Amino acid sequence: MTRTRTPGISRRSTLALMGAGAMSVAAPWVARAQAKTIKIGMPTILSGRVAQLGTSSRNAVMLEVEKVNAAGGLAGRQIEMVIRDSKGQPQEAARVARELVNTDGCELMIDAEASSGAFAVHEVARDLGVFCIHTNSETSALTADPKQHIPNAFRTARQGVHDSIVGGSYAAAIAKAKGLKKWATCSPDYAYGRDTTAEFTLYLKRFAPEVEIISESWPKLFQADYTEVVTKILQAKPQALYSCLWGGDLTSYIDQANIYAMFGQMEVFAVNMADYTALTVVKNLPKGIHSGNRYIKTFPTTPENAAWGDAYKAKFNEYPTNWSWENATAIMLMAEAAKKANSADGKKIAEVLKGLTIKCPFGADGTVTMRGDDHTLVGYAIGWGTTIPQEPYVPEVKAGDWKTIFELEAEWKKSKGYT
Amino acid sequence: MTELEAGRAQTLVPVRSGAVLQRYRDVLIALIAFAVLASLPLFTGSKALLDFVIRCSAYGLFATSLNLLVGYTGLTSFGHGMFFGLGAYSFGLIMQKLGVPIPVAFVATLAITAVFATIIGAICVRLKEIYFAFVTLAFQMLIHSTILSWASFTGGDQGLRGGIPRPVFLGIDLSNHVHLYVTSCALLILGLLAMRQIAQSPFGYTLRMIRDNAARASFLGIDVWRAKLTVFVLAALFASMGGMVMALFVSGAYPEFAYWTISGEGIFINMLGGVSTFLGPMVGTVLLLLLNDTVTRFTEYHGIVLGVVILFFALGLRKGLLDFVAEWFSHRHDAGKGR
Repeated sequence: MTRTRTPGISRRSTLALMGAGAMSVAAPWVARAQAKTIKIGMPTILSGRVAQLGTSSRNAVMLEVEKVNAAGGLAGRQIEMVIRDSKGQPQEAARVARELVNTDGCELMIDAEASSGAFAVHEVARDLGVFCIHTNSETSALTADPKQHIPNAFRTARQGVHDSIVGGSYAAAIAKAKGLKKWATCSPDYAYGRDTTAEFTLYLKRFAPEVEIISESWPKLFQADYTEVVTKILQAKPQALYSCLWGGDLTSYIDQANIYAMFGQMEVFAVNMADYTALTVVKNLPKGIHSGNRYIKTFPTTPENAAWGDAYKAKFNEYPTNWSWENATAIMLMAEAAKKANSADGKKIAEVLKGLTIKCPFGADGTVTMRGDDHTLVGYAIGWGTTIPQEPYVPEVKAGDWKTIFELEAEWKKSKGYT
Repeated sequence: MTELEAGRAQTLVPVRSGAVLQRYRDVLIALIAFAVLASLPLFTGSKALLDFVIRCSAYGLFATSLNLLVGYTGLTSFGHGMFFGLGAYSFGLIMQKLGVPIPVAFVATLAITAVFATIIGAICVRLKEIYFAFVTLAFQMLIHSTILSWASFTGGDQGLRGGIPRPVFLGIDLSNHVHLYVTSCALLILGLLAMRQIAQSPFGYTLRMIRDNAARASFLGIDVWRAKLTVFVLAALFASMGGMVMALFVSGAYPEFAYWTISGEGIFINMLGGVSTFLGPMVGTVLLLLLNDTVTRFTEYHGIVLGVVILFFALGLRKGLLDFVAEWFSHRHDAGKGR
């Protein structure tokens, strides 16, 4: 049997015509969607007391976005950052985040908010379902608490409990070697200060049970005068002092404690010391303060990390901060996930991002991983060392052991009822 | 009936019917305003606009309630934000911990606010001017510090986390954006209408007399302390309503809601819009939020812009916008009569 073509318009060609018609109508949109730049919204704090949080986050993001765009963009789409100030108010952070998605058409979100602002943006992400990476909130509960868990939100910041485990074990080793039994603490009086100090002492006592806390001071956040705190600590005569003061509070505390020659009389453990924001501002940085690494270009001691720190300094004329590396990592992870998913779609990126390991200058072993089960960053460089008054400020950092961190973190989660 | 009494009765009747007429007019305006606002989602798909109106509801209720104190009674409270925060936290905590229906939580929050406001007000309203301002500020900081320190209950400086559950009630689902929008509008209009009734009632005129001359009011047999306390509690209730709308909008409550900056914003809104007209604070709210939202889009130096605007209103106009407009109209009116 031979097939003959019937004259006129066949069903098939009608369909083809209709399809072509539809295409010609839809093509501009499809083409535009593919060629269109992708907007990433970023609410952060650009004014007020902690404006440095926002500016150093923004700098790092722009540095990385330039690289991604030069390499062809996010799955072929050029990134356009829309960065807006939330003034550090959670209701503004929520408003700005909603505005970025609903009005400005941002398809992805980087949440560079601190503490309460991050939880406010988290609720927006829950409500709107937009892909979101939290880059500055270190509060463990943000990802550890299963009640907070949503499939579209991740975190590329440190986690408080990781810092406490590493700090506690480092301090305990020194306490044992030097026989430091009497300890004092001095931390800012708000949730971060209270929680971090409690977790640090928990792990310190776990590794060195003979340690005793003989004095606790809780100066107010942004306090100007620390005289009473310094004299209280000196009167208690501890052998060691722990503090999680940070930024301007830490630097004014050190400047004022220097007058009393406090740092010669006890070992000092200040977790937030080894960040350029504090190191470069203190007038006379005492030698031998123990500190966790926040961001320092000499740890990890890799050429990639040093090069990244120098590139940042060259571009912005200041050293990066702890927030800088956390935000840069977010863009690196996003770019790699988009490449793997071959799409800039938030849902597809989120799928690939779970458990994704990438090469990264801030990794303990040159890589970092976005842990799949709780959407938080692991494997980043974390360690403690002692200060010297000039560059490189913290010449040797003793790296924390991620195996121990994982074990104790799992235990901690269980004790909190999270698992 | 003596002659005198008869004369009084005659003059009273038209006054009273005038008040009734005005009440009908207010209700009518409120109904029209609600109809316009509620039909907005039919004409526009802009979620940002709906968000804007929801925030206007929260701040508008708060600022107008502050004006009951500042404009009508002459009580300049620097701590009114504590009731905004109290409303947000009470509502959020009740919903999170007890899981009761939303209207129950709403009423319970108002009850809690009333208790707090009665205790705080009983101490504060005895004081005058700057002393009143500072003691209210002190109470606000007390509540703010309590929220920060009582971390196991309030979440401390991280705020109430995990979102506020919104079970459906009477077919209203507040996790639906449009439902939340219409509910906010309804609360705003009801709140404004109630406050308008308070301001126009004999009690409202008593408050004005206390503002202008408390000693005279007292000599006329008015219990000044009780009147001040009553309006303090009423204003707190509406501020608390504003706080609940805000808590629903952000799906949480944060210590910043009870911080002095919120009270400061309330005062600023009143300065912008004007305190001598009832709708002044509402105009101020729209102005401030519009300014805030547009300026923050373009610059992070919004502080300078807002500062210049304050200076313009404080030094240039020397009054709020609606005060200025109202005065201009009455001038024109007078000029027209004189011709």
